[in-house]
Amino acid sequence: MTATAPTLEHPLELRGIHAAYGRIEVLHGVDLVVPHGEVVALLGPNGAGKSTTLLVATGQHQASAGCVHVAGRHVNGARPDALARAGVCTIPEGRGIFRNLTVRENLRMATYQGVSEDHVVDVAVTRFPRLGERINQVAGTMSGGEQQMLAIARGLATDPGLLIIDELSMGLAPLIVAELYEIVAGIASDGVSILVVEQFARTVLGVADQAVIMQHGRVIATGPPADLEAELSAAYLGASS
Amino acid sequence: MTEPQSTSNPAERLHANVAEIHVPEPSADTETLLVKLGIMLPMLGIVLILLAWYNASDTAFVADQIPMLISGGLLGLALAVVGLGLFIRFSLARILRFWLARMVVEQQAQTDRVVEALARVEAAVRNPNGSN
Repeated sequence: MTATAPTLEHPLELRGIHAAYGRIEVLHGVDLVVPHGEVVALLGPNGAGKSTTLLVATGQHQASAGCVHVAGRHVNGARPDALARAGVCTIPEGRGIFRNLTVRENLRMATYQGVSEDHVVDVAVTRFPRLGERINQVAGTMSGGEQQMLAIARGLATDPGLLIIDELSMGLAPLIVAELYEIVAGIASDGVSILVVEQFARTVLGVADQAVIMQHGRVIATGPPADLEAELSAAYLGASS
Repeated sequence: MTEPQSTSNPAERLHANVAEIHVPEPSADTETLLVKLGIMLPMLGIVLILLAWYNASDTAFVADQIPMLISGGLLGLALAVVGLGLFIRFSLARILRFWLARMVVEQQAQTDRVVEALARVEAAVRNPNGSN
């Protein structure tokens, strides 16, 4: 027998996930794997079930069937805050920042795990120097890109093992989006696994290691972005991507 | 205030943290509750019986003793019986489940030993001189 190096389970694995809102089932057996240190793009047109998949993965919506595995552990029914404390960090659509608080005060909100404010600010400013310049500015008065940077910085301050980003490009200029995705790629290179939910596919494919295309609550294609051109076109049916 | 652990990488940290979170299992939680109920109900029943006995022994009139026997003695007896039933039912289920799991593990270990022995026998048959 040969000795094998111990391998860690995937940070996130969904198996045969079904989910419903009331009687209406919106996910019909979704399988998804986010490997270590990789960026996985979850793509699909509006109403494909991407955000519901994200909600199931983060414990905010219960799957009616199937398994949610985080770091190899079956976590169906686990509280979302418990998963967040364990290192599953979600950056929601719309950023989820406190617009009437300053950047520093927003970052202070990430000290709930017992991390010092100085450390949180240090991590944020190191990754996003622009936030350092705006540290005492009210968050709502910053540009959309800077607000998204603040949202990501607040998530990173908790030292997540799995980062889930919902619609990062929402309402942002293409140049800013490209800059943000470069930062996302940098975060992944530090060993953080990332699941990006995106409606506008082209913006994320440049940094994604794997892409998963959803349509009508099902995964229709999975693989390296370069291999999924045909499926992408079919999924979006001519929609702007 | 503390700084986050920097000794392990994000994946190892996630594994360590996820291993510690509580994942509710509705059926197991209900079973635990019923076992606790199975312990508490007989205790409550015995207390009611003792109270009934104490109050009934305080008077010589049978007409006064009967209500105490009914409200204390019979209710206490019923609680004790129901509680014991619950306790036995769910304790037995746990013991049988544990026994079954142990059987499966032992069976698996036994199978592994047999497979290993067969592999050794096969190796010996293929190479009777014992040289590589």
